[in-house]
Amino acid sequence: MKKSISLRVNDQERNLEVEPRTTLLEAVRDQLGLTGAKLGCDIQVCGACTLLLDGKPVSACSVLAVDAEGCSITSIEGLSQGDTLHPIQQAFMEFGALQCGYCTSGFILTAKALFDENPKPSEQEIREYLAGNFCRCGCYQEIMQALKNVRREG
Amino acid sequence: MKNFDYLEPTTVNEACALLKQHGGDAKVYAGGAYLGIVMKQGLLEPKALVNIKKIDALKGIRFDAKEGLIIGALVTHRELETSALAREKFPVLCEAEKEVANIRVRHVATVGGNLASGEPLTDLAQIFMALDGKVKIASPAGERVLSLDDFFVDYYQTSLAEDEILTQVVLPSLPARSGIDYVRFSSSSVVDKPSVGVCARVTLDGEVCKAVRIVLGCVGATPIRARKGEELLVGKKLDTNWIEQAARSAAEECKPISDIRGSERYKRAVVRALTKRAVTAAYERALRS
Repeated sequence: MKKSISLRVNDQERNLEVEPRTTLLEAVRDQLGLTGAKLGCDIQVCGACTLLLDGKPVSACSVLAVDAEGCSITSIEGLSQGDTLHPIQQAFMEFGALQCGYCTSGFILTAKALFDENPKPSEQEIREYLAGNFCRCGCYQEIMQALKNVRREG
Repeated sequence: MKNFDYLEPTTVNEACALLKQHGGDAKVYAGGAYLGIVMKQGLLEPKALVNIKKIDALKGIRFDAKEGLIIGALVTHRELETSALAREKFPVLCEAEKEVANIRVRHVATVGGNLASGEPLTDLAQIFMALDGKVKIASPAGERVLSLDDFFVDYYQTSLAEDEILTQVVLPSLPARSGIDYVRFSSSSVVDKPSVGVCARVTLDGEVCKAVRIVLGCVGATPIRARKGEELLVGKKLDTNWIEQAARSAAEECKPISDIRGSERYKRAVVRALTKRAVTAAYERALRS
């Protein structure tokens, strides 16, 4: 039986009808059309499906949409202000911190949560926080350069 | 994932009553980190999920002078990792949590869920056991308290009955002149689960070892106390020779399986190395305390 839930997605109230088994990732991608978050490993290991749930990174592939009722969700689509990219997005572009882009939204959202928690993280703190996101193209050096640069500017 | 009824009780009694009403067909849902995976893989197909996250009594970390540190079942790994109170009482927990899974899992997965899943590849269980930790369990019949040694039964099996809920973990304060250390080894960066985790706790009387716990994780169906290794150390002035012998014994007492995290022989060698490190570090901390 479907349940009605309301989510605050990228600062907009959204009402959805979901089955209890619908994951947050399915709800956001299939019902809201926000396809920045990707299905990767499906077992919370890779980070491609990362969304921010009340500001904290979670694996949206494994959170039930019904369990997110009343929560605030941030997806990659909610980061830029009009045509102005978020500083982390800008840094990823400048340092070429991506190839295929499949992992990118997860990296950027996780990094945003880190900078929100800790505006001046050390290199070690960046590595520890981002350790659960995988880039199969192997852009880790560029991602680190981009994030170290955000840290300097921030 | 097959569909299911989704229930959100607000009290422990209500949750237990719902579990009883559904017999074995309902499962407790907290963070969903473990259930999400096993349900997607079809390993569990509950007819109902009882989400206990709205039960306030299961939240928070507090300290009670008599009982010790009390960790609510719904406390997430990240909460424990960043808790000032946990850091003050048992810094070993916060240090261990830094390496548990990844930041996303730590934000949703709970301490209670971690124990109740009976997952053998975990970190907290062996540390709680080394601290002589207990769990409180609620059922329609009332509350019972179990030591962690008695809580774990087999791979993914605990002594929780179908209508019971783990409500709290209780960690008594360490006796004076005690030190504890946890060393974990992960063989692969691809899968975050540890291949071996050893927790050692040493309590001294003067310079003599009065009590010791050596608990081996991920190398058996449940965390294993290396009791023969412990016996070797009690009553002794610890030195590298005794610690080496205890580590050797621990390597024999564990029951690892060969898998992608290492062969049985390899894991025994890792247990020996980590036991040596953990006991040595715990001993040095006890000396300084």
